[in-house]
Amino acid sequence: MESAEDWLVESLRLYQDFHAFDLPGATRVLEWIGDKGVFVAGYEKLKKNEILHLTLPPRLSVKENQGLFPERDFKVCHGGFSDRSIFDLKHVPDTRLLVTSGLPGCYLQVWQIAEDSDVIEAVRTIAVHEKEGSLWPRIAIFSSVAPGVLHGARLSGLKVVDLESQKVTYTSGVSDSEELSSLQVLDADTFAFCCTSGRLGLVDTRQKWAPAENVSPSPGAGGGRWCAEVRGQGPGPSIASLCSDGLLCLLDPRDLCHPVRSVRCPVSTPSPDPELLRVTWAPGLDSCLAISGFDGTVQVYDVTSLDGMEGHVEPLFTHRGHVFLDDHGTGAAPLVTTHTWHPRKPRTLLSAASDASVHVWDWVDLRVSR
Amino acid sequence: MPEIRVTPLGAGQDVGRSCILVSIGGKNVMLDCGMHMGYNDDRRFPDFSYITRNGRLTDFLDCVIISHFHLDHCGALPYFSEMVGYDGPIYMTHPTQAICPILLEDYRKIAVDKKGEANFFTSQMIKDCMKKVVAVRLHQTVQVDEELQIKAYYAGHVLGAAMFQIKVGSESVVYTGDYNMTPDRHLGAAWIDKCRPNLLITESTYATTIRDSKRCRERDFLKKVHETVERGGKVLIPVFALGRAQELCILLETFWERMNLKAPIYFSTGLTEKANHYYKLFITWTNQKIRKTFVQRNMFEFKHIKAFDRAFADNPGPMVVFATPGMLHAGQSLQIFRKWAGNEKNMVIMPGYCVQGTVGHKILSGQRKLEMEGRQVLEIRMQVEYIQGLLPDAKKPRLLHGTLIMKDSNFRLVSSEQALKELGLAEHQLRFTCRVHLHDSRKEQETAARVYSHLKSLLKDHCVQHLPDGSVTVESILIQAAAHSEDPGTKVLLVSWTYQDEELGSYLTSLLKKGLPPAPSGGS
Repeated sequence: MESAEDWLVESLRLYQDFHAFDLPGATRVLEWIGDKGVFVAGYEKLKKNEILHLTLPPRLSVKENQGLFPERDFKVCHGGFSDRSIFDLKHVPDTRLLVTSGLPGCYLQVWQIAEDSDVIEAVRTIAVHEKEGSLWPRIAIFSSVAPGVLHGARLSGLKVVDLESQKVTYTSGVSDSEELSSLQVLDADTFAFCCTSGRLGLVDTRQKWAPAENVSPSPGAGGGRWCAEVRGQGPGPSIASLCSDGLLCLLDPRDLCHPVRSVRCPVSTPSPDPELLRVTWAPGLDSCLAISGFDGTVQVYDVTSLDGMEGHVEPLFTHRGHVFLDDHGTGAAPLVTTHTWHPRKPRTLLSAASDASVHVWDWVDLRVSR
Repeated sequence: MPEIRVTPLGAGQDVGRSCILVSIGGKNVMLDCGMHMGYNDDRRFPDFSYITRNGRLTDFLDCVIISHFHLDHCGALPYFSEMVGYDGPIYMTHPTQAICPILLEDYRKIAVDKKGEANFFTSQMIKDCMKKVVAVRLHQTVQVDEELQIKAYYAGHVLGAAMFQIKVGSESVVYTGDYNMTPDRHLGAAWIDKCRPNLLITESTYATTIRDSKRCRERDFLKKVHETVERGGKVLIPVFALGRAQELCILLETFWERMNLKAPIYFSTGLTEKANHYYKLFITWTNQKIRKTFVQRNMFEFKHIKAFDRAFADNPGPMVVFATPGMLHAGQSLQIFRKWAGNEKNMVIMPGYCVQGTVGHKILSGQRKLEMEGRQVLEIRMQVEYIQGLLPDAKKPRLLHGTLIMKDSNFRLVSSEQALKELGLAEHQLRFTCRVHLHDSRKEQETAARVYSHLKSLLKDHCVQHLPDGSVTVESILIQAAAHSEDPGTKVLLVSWTYQDEELGSYLTSLLKKGLPPAPSGGS
C-alpha cells in the first residue's frame, strides 16, 4: 500500500521508536506484569481463545536507544486456553494468579501460571450472582497479603471476594442497578467506579456505602456511554471521564459534580463499539492522557493545554499506525480495542486493534525543540 | 495405516544443519543437507552415521531434496556426497542449482583460507557434487522412480526456495523448508495446491516468538542510514551478491525518492552484474512488482543508485555503499571498511550472519581494535550496527514445551517421555562427533590411556571410565583414539556425545584441544 509507505517514512519523524506485531488473535486486554511482560487474551465467540504471557522485546528495556539492537520480538512465555471470550484480565500482584471476566456466563475465572512449565491453567471460578445475558463483571484487584477481587456488572452486585477463601469481604449493599463500565482500586481501602451513564464514585470499603459521587449525570451526556480513570499522582484534576460522543471531562475528586474542564475531542462519533472506550493517564508524564475506542487511532492530550468549556481541542499526538498498516485491505477499518502506557518509559504506549495488531510506540513531543 | 518415519539428523530444536530423513512407503528421502554455522568442527554437519551404519548411502537413499541455497540447508551437501559418499539424485530448483555452488565455494574459501580448516570439502568436490543435481521446475511432477514422486512449490523466502510434496502411492509428505506467507519487496508469498498430506514437516523457528514486522525493521534501517547521512557520515553495507542486497536497494531507492535526498548511493559492480544475471535468469521467481519493473528497465538501473568506483571511497561528504563480500573478510567491502573505520561519523550495517574469524564477526562481537595484515592495528570508531537476521549460535538444546500427539481422534499436549510411551516409539539419540588432532607417535591404545589418566585427574566430579576396547567415556561422552591416515606422528581423537550433553561435550573438546600433559617416562 502506497499510503503505508508514506506513513512509515513520516513515522521516522513522529516516533522515536515503533514496533508492529501481529498476534495470533485480536485482544481487548493489555495487562502488565512487572514492566517487562504483558498479558493478552482473545475474545472470539465461537472458538477457544488463547491467553498469552508475552515478554517485551529486550530492545525496549535498554536504557538508550541502542540502534538496531537485534532483540526486537515478543516471546511467548506462558499460554493457556479459554473456552469463552475474555474481555478483562487482571494479574494479582506478587502471585502467579490471574482473574478473567468474559462471556458467555457470568462468572470470573481464576488462572494459575505454572512454575515448571509454560502453561496457564484454569484453577477455579468465582461465582457472580447476577445472571445477566450480555453483561460481564468488571474486575479490579485489592492486592495485599490476602488479595481480594472487586467485581460487579451493576452497582447492586459490587462485591469484594477473598481470592483464597472465596469469602465475600465487602458488598455495596445497594439496590441501585446501574450498569458499571469501569472499576479501579485506588489503595488498600478505596476504589473508584464509573457507570455507563457517567455516574462516578469513590468508595471507602471501611464504611457503609456512602461514596463521594456525582449523582447527576455529566453535562452533555445524551445517552452516550462513559468510562473513567483516576490518576495515581500529580498536580491538577485527577479524574478523567470519557463519553462515546467524544466529550472528555476532567474532575477533581473533592467535587465530582462540577468538572474542572470539559472538552469535545475531535473523534469520529458515535464510537462503533462504546464498550471499547478507554481513557488512561500517563504514569510518567505530569499532565498527559490517552483515549481510544472511536476508530483505529489513539490520541494523546496534554490536559494543561485544553481550552475552556466545550472548546475544540487538538490532540498532542495521534497514533495512526493501525489504520495505515492494516494489511487486510478491504473490509472494515481496524478499531483500537485497548491501549496502555509503559510503566517506566514516559512516552511509550502499547495499543491493540481488532485486526490482531499490537503496536509499541514511543511518540515524539513535537513541541519540544530539537 | 500409512507407515511414515521421520528422523531428524540435525535442526531438531535448533537452527542449522537442517537434514531430515523421511521413510515413506518403503522409500527413503533426505530433506536438505545443511551446515550449522555456529560450530567449527564436525558438529556443523548432520549426523550421517545414523544412516551409514545401514550400508551404502546410495543404496539406502532414493533421493536427496534441497529446499534452497542457504548454507544451513545445503552447506553439508558436498561433504555428504563426496566425503561420506552418495551418488544418487539430488533434486533442487534451477535457481538453487545455479546459486548453491557459489555460496558453497565462498564459504569454503573462508573456512580454508581464513580459518585454516582441514577436513573440508574442496572446490572439485563442489563441482562433482553439483553434477549429481537434477533441477526441477515448479509444479512439475518428477518421477524419481516408479513409485516415488516429488513436486516443488513456490516458498518465497529467497530466490529459488521451494516447498516439496513427496508422494508414494496414496501416502504423501509435505516439507516446507523455509517459507514466507507474506510477500516482500522482491519475492512473492508461498503457495501450494490444496492437498491432504499424511504428514507436514514445517519449520517453527518463530513458533513462540511474535516477530516485529519487517516494515519496522526496515524503518529502523532507514532511520540509521538517514541519521548518518544527515550528519555527513558514510554508510557501508557489506552484502552477499544475492539475498538482502536487492531488497535493501529497492528500499533505499524508494526512501531517497520520497525524501528527496541527494547523498549518493553506490553499488559495487560485481554485485550488480551477478545479481542482474540471476534475477534476469529467474525472473519468473520474483514478485509481480519486480517483473513489471524489470520489463520496463534493468532491475538495477536505479535513479539514485550508481555503480561504485574505488576512488569514490575517498570522496568527502556523505554516501551509502553496498559492497561485497558480506562478512568483511576480504575484497572491496574490507577495503572500504579500512578507510572509513576511524571516523565516528561513519557507520557499517551488517545485514547477515558472520562466520567466526571474519572481520565482520569480530566487530559484531564488540572488538574495537583489529590486527590487520602487516601487524597494523585498525581502531574502529565508526558505529557498528546489525540488522537482525538469524544468529545461529551454538546453543544448549532448549527444553521441549511438550509434544502434541494425535491419538483416537484427540489432540493432547503431553511431555515427550509420555508421547514416546503412548505411541510406542523408541527414542533416537543423535550423536555428534568431533575430531581432535594430537601429536603422539605412540600406538592408539597408549594415546587413549593417556587421555584417560588426564581426564580422570581433571574431572573429579564426573564418571570417567577406561573401557576394555580402549575407548574412554566421560558420562555418556565417548572418546576413541585412531591413527591418522597419513601422518604416523598424529593421532585423531574422536569425541562423540548425544545432543543432550552438548555443554559437557563442548567443554571436553576444548580441554583436549589444549593437548595432553607429557607422559611419564617409560610409557603410559
